[in-house]
Amino acid sequence: MSTLVSDLISSPPSKGTEAIVPVITDAVAITGLGDGLGVLWQKLMRGLSAVRPVDRFRTDRYTAGVAACIEDLTTPPDGSLIHPLLDRLFCQMGPISPDTFLITATTKAGIDVLEKIQTGMPADLQDVSLLSPAVAVMKAFNLTEGGINISAACASSTVAVARAAAMVASNRANAVLVCGVDVVTEFVFSGFSALKALSPAACRPFDRNRNGLSLGDGAAALVIMNPEAARRKKRPPLGKIIGWGVSNDAAHITAPDQNGTGLIRAVSRAMGMSGKLPDDISAVCAHGTGTLFNDRMEMTAFRQFFGPRRVPTYSIKGAVGHTLAATGAIEVAVGLQALKNRAAPPTIGLQEPMSEAVGWVNNEPVAFAGNCLLTTNSGFGGVNAALILEG
Amino acid sequence: MNAVITGIGWVTATAAGCAGDFKDFAMPEKPLPDITSRAIFGPLYPYARRMDAYSKSGLAAVAFALKDADQDQWTEKRNIGIIAATETGCLKTDLDYFETVKPSKDFQPSPALFSYTLPNTYLGEAAIRFGLTGPNFVIHEQAPLGLSALKLAMESLELGEAEKMLCGFCSLAVPAPFDAIRKGPPGAVFFLLEKLPEDTASVYGPVRLDRKNRIFFNRTQIEDLAVLVQIAMASRRARQRKT
Repeated sequence: MSTLVSDLISSPPSKGTEAIVPVITDAVAITGLGDGLGVLWQKLMRGLSAVRPVDRFRTDRYTAGVAACIEDLTTPPDGSLIHPLLDRLFCQMGPISPDTFLITATTKAGIDVLEKIQTGMPADLQDVSLLSPAVAVMKAFNLTEGGINISAACASSTVAVARAAAMVASNRANAVLVCGVDVVTEFVFSGFSALKALSPAACRPFDRNRNGLSLGDGAAALVIMNPEAARRKKRPPLGKIIGWGVSNDAAHITAPDQNGTGLIRAVSRAMGMSGKLPDDISAVCAHGTGTLFNDRMEMTAFRQFFGPRRVPTYSIKGAVGHTLAATGAIEVAVGLQALKNRAAPPTIGLQEPMSEAVGWVNNEPVAFAGNCLLTTNSGFGGVNAALILEG
Repeated sequence: MNAVITGIGWVTATAAGCAGDFKDFAMPEKPLPDITSRAIFGPLYPYARRMDAYSKSGLAAVAFALKDADQDQWTEKRNIGIIAATETGCLKTDLDYFETVKPSKDFQPSPALFSYTLPNTYLGEAAIRFGLTGPNFVIHEQAPLGLSALKLAMESLELGEAEKMLCGFCSLAVPAPFDAIRKGPPGAVFFLLEKLPEDTASVYGPVRLDRKNRIFFNRTQIEDLAVLVQIAMASRRARQRKT
């Protein structure tokens, strides 16, 4: 264990003398692999990928032509794709108490309406507001306690889960609904193409020949509750959030800090809060975008953090693409399935691991013992976020 | 939950600077001043020229809040976080970027502009400029100048997630028809919050989040961040008169 790691774990943040440990009672997801968490888990374990040619917009001007789009997602006449996506997510969700606080997470909300405006089509301008998903969710469930949207780039919904857990742990809320949502748009696709960050074929996280990321549509919803309130409402917990940590690299706005210090800080803060030690972690759900720099930074951080022990580590982005703000919430939902089944899903797209990841990542499912899983995300602006789930 | 405000900085249509340098605070519905790199960040900060107007305004207000608390100089990175609210975020930059995506002979989407099409990018700039490694993110809430960022920052301090927290907001005007999204005035305001201030000279006063989710400064209930600036400044002036 490095000095930085031991220093950070020895002075952990405190949840107080009578700590409330938040529980997750509901988890649903929609990705290019289909509607529902069960479907997603089964297809992940079978090694399937939703990355395929994009037909939503022309891609011949860009450095790639593939993404993990939801095939039958139809753009409404005057609105954004986020609405049919959210409607399908709502169909999967059980009842939500009106006094539930809402935290949405989106990076660009309905930015696809800009494409409509540019081509002279009717469009609801309100969809470009990053608050528009929150407005839709509040309306769908008649929520009375208000809500916010969190924007922290690709770590948005991981940060949203951390804040939801903090609200519950601080006794400021009994229940928080976290909804992460983003769709593949030409706006975002063109930007990652301009940054030369897109893989021409489906992305290959942690592979020695990885050459970029694949984007994906995605949405997920999680209900995070005070354990006592969950018991009273007869909502059995799917798992607990026993630690969270968010940090900034303070190094670069688009590239990850190559020594992994920022991610180590986030993981160490989460670990300190959880009261666990690195040896207690059974598996890691990595951000694993498939870009040269992200994957190398993550392995540098994990190797420093865990020392010689090779912890089963996986990325789901070869299967569902990088779903931006939704990715953290989707990965929490998948993490709960991994804990339930005591198995790490395969890293789809992986053929030959990069040297730093040999013995860590696998293209087959890996069984594990133990009940703690670390999930992390990092994003533009230098943000890193880590959650420790117990199941 | 309790914290102490030790620094306030802003960029509004009437002024840009540290609260300690002004007698009044106003946030009128007028264009913001141009933020020049040299005036705000000093001649040695090379990244200021690349930023969009939203980032410059937000970063300047963060810089002024830290300077107001005498915390703008640093040698070691610090566990200070930032939570910033916004209404329009980087929408103007989004529009500028999307112009570069229009089909044309000169089609060349700008990677430099794309990097600023996330509302939290400027928090990364602030982290780099001032060595801030704490949690940082942007929120959108329904009330303009609302108190959610302040509440989340106080919660973060209470849980020991950061040693100090900056919180505030930054919103800029956007062109029609998108201006319908904006309800509050343009501007950027940030507060530095601490649990136990090292230096009491710059303290404005205590802020409290009660069990009913209400914010109080001293004993006055606060309804929005603009009112908090005014009351905090008045409180410090009154204390300075006494001493």
